[in-house]
Amino acid sequence: MKITIGHLYPDLLNLYGDRGNIQCMRKRCEWRGIEAAVREFQLSDPIDFAKLDIVLLGGGSDREEMLVCERLKTIQKDFKAYVEDNGVVIAVCGGYQLLGHYYDTDDGRIEGLSLVDLYTEQGSPRLISNIVIENELFSQPIVGFENHGGRTYIGDNQPLGKVRFGYGNNGKDGAEGILYKNVVGTYLHGPLLPKNPQVCDHLIGNALERKYGKSELAPLDDSQELEANRYIVERFC
Amino acid sequence: MRVRRLIAVWTAKIVSTACRFSGRQGVTLAGRIALKLDPKILSDLASMVREEIFVVCGTNGKTTTNNLLCSAIESEGKKLVCNHTGSNMLAGVAAAFVLAAGNNGKLDADYACIEIDEASTLRIFPHFKPDYMVLTNLFRDQLDRYGEIDITMDILDRAMKMAPGMTLIVNGDDALSEYLAMKSGNPYKTYGISEQVFKEQSSEQGSHEIREGRFCKNCGARLEYEFYHYSQLGKYHCPECGFTRPEIDFDASHIDMSDGLGFEVEGRQIRADYRGFYNIYNILAAYSAARTAGLALANFDDVLKKFNPQNGRMEQFEIEGTHIVLNLAKNPAGFNQNISAVMEDEKPKDIIIVINDNAQDGTDISWLWDVDFDRFAQESIRSITVSGIRCQDMRLRMKYVDIPSELIADVKSAIEARIKDGCGNLYVLVNYTALFSTRNLLVGMQN
Repeated sequence: MKITIGHLYPDLLNLYGDRGNIQCMRKRCEWRGIEAAVREFQLSDPIDFAKLDIVLLGGGSDREEMLVCERLKTIQKDFKAYVEDNGVVIAVCGGYQLLGHYYDTDDGRIEGLSLVDLYTEQGSPRLISNIVIENELFSQPIVGFENHGGRTYIGDNQPLGKVRFGYGNNGKDGAEGILYKNVVGTYLHGPLLPKNPQVCDHLIGNALERKYGKSELAPLDDSQELEANRYIVERFC
Repeated sequence: MRVRRLIAVWTAKIVSTACRFSGRQGVTLAGRIALKLDPKILSDLASMVREEIFVVCGTNGKTTTNNLLCSAIESEGKKLVCNHTGSNMLAGVAAAFVLAAGNNGKLDADYACIEIDEASTLRIFPHFKPDYMVLTNLFRDQLDRYGEIDITMDILDRAMKMAPGMTLIVNGDDALSEYLAMKSGNPYKTYGISEQVFKEQSSEQGSHEIREGRFCKNCGARLEYEFYHYSQLGKYHCPECGFTRPEIDFDASHIDMSDGLGFEVEGRQIRADYRGFYNIYNILAAYSAARTAGLALANFDDVLKKFNPQNGRMEQFEIEGTHIVLNLAKNPAGFNQNISAVMEDEKPKDIIIVINDNAQDGTDISWLWDVDFDRFAQESIRSITVSGIRCQDMRLRMKYVDIPSELIADVKSAIEARIKDGCGNLYVLVNYTALFSTRNLLVGMQN
């Protein structure tokens, strides 16, 4: 079995250890004998979504998001089709904001991809904190670090989790992130996946399911991952 | 007002003496109290500096560059004020001046060499306008505290505009620093390394290192590089708007790292017995600043030979037959350079990595994943031990490059364990708040 991970615009969207998310997906495939290829796309590269099984859209500064958003218009249609066809997407921080309709900043509006029904408005102060959220899908709480000026509103969509500690989407409604089809959007970095192996396996599993129609993942020894996860939960909750 | 200043100076000195054993905290507290008692004390004392005031800013290399600059100026027989301890926010800077003042409340100094935390420039420059600012480099660092690197650049831009007469000395190999200097309107000089030093850094593909500012700050186009030194430092130009690496005023050539560090600048041979390519930049920055200010630096070689700041930057210890090197590594660019410096030592070695997440470290430790730890997968690395508050994260980081590590959360126990069973050559790499406690431990164990 083989999956291909497309890393979109790592030159621009590479804040906060996004490489860790890539590395985590890659290793957890490798350790199970699943081949994992990573393709990096630069702004000018054409993207054939049919060849991708997981798309990672990372975080960037507001200025860099602005540069990316220009380019995104040209791939919006293909990206949307990929998402509607249950393509797996993991979008973190700035990438998460770009999934929505727009991000209103003090310097103007950043148009998003409108892949998911959400929008973001800049607020003050920045929401900076360790964060712990919970979702029944996963037996382990999801832990990470958030650092965002934007307040994201997801309407009736399903969040990635309920906030136990930290701020989440907007610091008000207790929701963090979004789950839409096979898209995971979140403000959690830290990076997200290494300390939350269940989320990583959720992405890999969905990608395999979509590609091969089955997704039995061999169990791994996650004791170190879970210890690191538990440390954050116990310290902050 | 004189009385006010006297009271402030005396009180600060008493406070500082009383807290001597608590290190930096004492210095910062003394400065804070002095400013409270006499809000004008910093501007008054700074105005008594007879010749020039230098400030050193930039993500990495501030403390080493500033201390080197300080030693270089002292070797010219000058008296100076310097914040040696690295307390580089408003209170720490005030303390440096106040504690250097005499009991008569007056300062007797020819020069001041002050490192300043970039974000604090806007709070410090209202007190005094420096004559020179050294800008060492700009890398991602403590994103939770400073937000994005663009925010730091914006702060420095405003600071430069507050002091339009201040001459900048910038690293011309850093497109971000060069852009700031160019845009500021301030007079400026550049230093850099025009020759390619690392063959493998000739292209994008050569390394997976995180690079800042790949896109032209001037027009947004992708910068093109002839080569990199490390991170985004190298020889760059913008294919669209013509923004380019500047003519270098202080150009280091004939780089030789076979035995310590050696290079040539202004026709002089410079030799230093340190490791780490990044130290060439630190030496060059201090040299360029002093030369820009018109100092002859006749004894610069001697300065480098005697330079031993004892502040946990490549500081060496001998404990029970184990040679120990302690070094600060607090962000990806710094850590990658540290790894390079460790790997320059080909002998077998044990490594201890100590990671804390206190406020001064940055509470976000995501940056660990931007460091190229896979480079530790070498025969000569005998063991890796992870320690400190976030040792669990560090162990996980190593796991995901398939390098096993041992977790010993307590730093003292970790060091003792490796002295006991290690190969006698130990590197202890620590981030910011771990530096002082680890250094104190090592000093204590050595005595």
